Amino acid sequence: MKPKIAVFSLTSCEGCSLAILELENQLLDILGAVEIVNFREAMTERDCDIDIGFVDGAVSTPTDVEEIKEMREHCKALVAIGACACQGGINSLKNHQNEDDYRSYVYGDGAKHFPTIKAQPISAFVEVEYELPGCPMVKEEFLALVKAVLSGQQWALPQTSVCVECKKQGNLCLYEKGIICLGPVTLAGCGAICPTFGSKCEGCRGLASDEALQAASINLREQYDIPLENILADLRFYGAYQEKSLP
Amino acid sequence: MLDRIVEKNELLELVDELSRERTIIGPVPREEHYFYEAVKNVRELDLGFNYCVYSPKAFLFPPTETLFRFEAQDGSFGATPVLEDRPQAFVGVHPCDINAIRLLDRAFSRDHADEHYLSRRGATFIIGIDCPKACIEGVFCVDMKSNNAEEGFDIMCYPLEDDGKGQVVYGVMFGTKAGREWILYHQAGRAPSVKDERDFKQYQRQKEQAFPRSIPYDVDTLPDLLERSYDSLLWEATARRCYSCGSCNLSCPTCYCFDVYDELDMTLTSGERKREWDGCQLPGFALVAGDHNFRGKAASRLRHRIYRKGKWVREREGISGCVGCARCDRACTAKISSIEIYNQLAEEV
Repeated sequence: MKPKIAVFSLTSCEGCSLAILELENQLLDILGAVEIVNFREAMTERDCDIDIGFVDGAVSTPTDVEEIKEMREHCKALVAIGACACQGGINSLKNHQNEDDYRSYVYGDGAKHFPTIKAQPISAFVEVEYELPGCPMVKEEFLALVKAVLSGQQWALPQTSVCVECKKQGNLCLYEKGIICLGPVTLAGCGAICPTFGSKCEGCRGLASDEALQAASINLREQYDIPLENILADLRFYGAYQEKSLP
Repeated sequence: MLDRIVEKNELLELVDELSRERTIIGPVPREEHYFYEAVKNVRELDLGFNYCVYSPKAFLFPPTETLFRFEAQDGSFGATPVLEDRPQAFVGVHPCDINAIRLLDRAFSRDHADEHYLSRRGATFIIGIDCPKACIEGVFCVDMKSNNAEEGFDIMCYPLEDDGKGQVVYGVMFGTKAGREWILYHQAGRAPSVKDERDFKQYQRQKEQAFPRSIPYDVDTLPDLLERSYDSLLWEATARRCYSCGSCNLSCPTCYCFDVYDELDMTLTSGERKREWDGCQLPGFALVAGDHNFRGKAASRLRHRIYRKGKWVREREGISGCVGCARCDRACTAKISSIEIYNQLAEEV
């Protein structure tokens, strides 16, 4: 019997779900190997039994909290896909703002109908077997994970930073142009797509390691003359780091 | 002793002809720097380049490559090696990078010969361009005795006259039979005169003055210095800034470590065994079974890299593991500098 796969969305743009559909050349092969279960039906059918559930979006409303717990119940393995599900993502920008302010500028007069909570990764509420970070998630990484799970192999995220992939691409380091890029502290796996196309890394895949952030904290103070608030704002953008100051 | 005198325009015409049978790879200007790239037209090349951001290593040892394809079916297993041997030519390689290729040649030939590297290497023709002076600030090739190349090229071109406007007269030295035949078959240039030999001697004398030294001792004593520096506090003090991003490794022309992994096809019964660049500064480099990491700290990884470049590789291969190109120093956004480390250690002990 083919393993059942489901895709769920919480608070997000659902771009990570779309990234699966962008695997155009492999979609038929994937469908040959697994059965994809539509998530809305899956949630109402109590007897449904899902092998791998992919979830994009942050937990950002009371409804999200209920849904993620329900998803966990129905899935043997749960995979957080994208920055929102893994770190809170862009949604977590609201965590640093006044609740009344953001609710009124987002929902206007209807704000009272839309209760919200602090945006958080799904791992803050339920156990998560795998995380595929990034904004959006990297579709090749999704494919690799599916293959690893189907073949019973171990799978793990890289432990390295984006610089590794930038060097493999043969890019000119953005620091050579005076641009402070988050590549050195950001988890690899994206193929350094932003620096390759001339934009600085904004840390959407989260931190490579605490040690790298510690080094950044030292280097940005000692070696570079830039306001640390800028770096904190960059690190906060996708929820990679949400503290008020660098370690 | 020079073997031939060839003008740059004539050399480029020869390279143009060579492009019919080989992919031409050489320095191309991009974003105010130079990069080794495959070119369609030899006019894209700038042989007067100062410095390429990366060495041409990636064309001999690509960042990712397939070693073999495998297939398992009905209880049987088959594997087909994947070897790349398309003819290519590096046009415009400075002595530092030629010396780095020499080191790679040795590393990939010793013990179990690496047929993937050697297959590409065997299909590669190398045209060196000598440096009359240090190419940019910060390089220390002269300290590493790598600013001259004795071998590792098919021909080496010494720019004896350069009018600064593109007219260059090269004194050419043959490094291999293939290089000799290439020049002589096409009857390129002319035989060197007594004056040319005199000019060449003058060129070499001027060159000796044109490379400022960066370390106050002979590099041959570096292994001993490092031997005494194992417990230095410098490693910890410097590595606190290290991101462990591996940029130093990955931009180094002599780093050759790689990691091997399998990539399955969607059928899960076939796939490819691949390898990709690895680096000793990356946190998981020395991670082994049981989750033990025998260089789990950035300080021990930094020491390892400096020891390899300054001591171990030299002791094993007989040539310096560092060619002084300073790409590691430039690539480090934490501004950790190997030449500073070499100097600080000398002050310490």
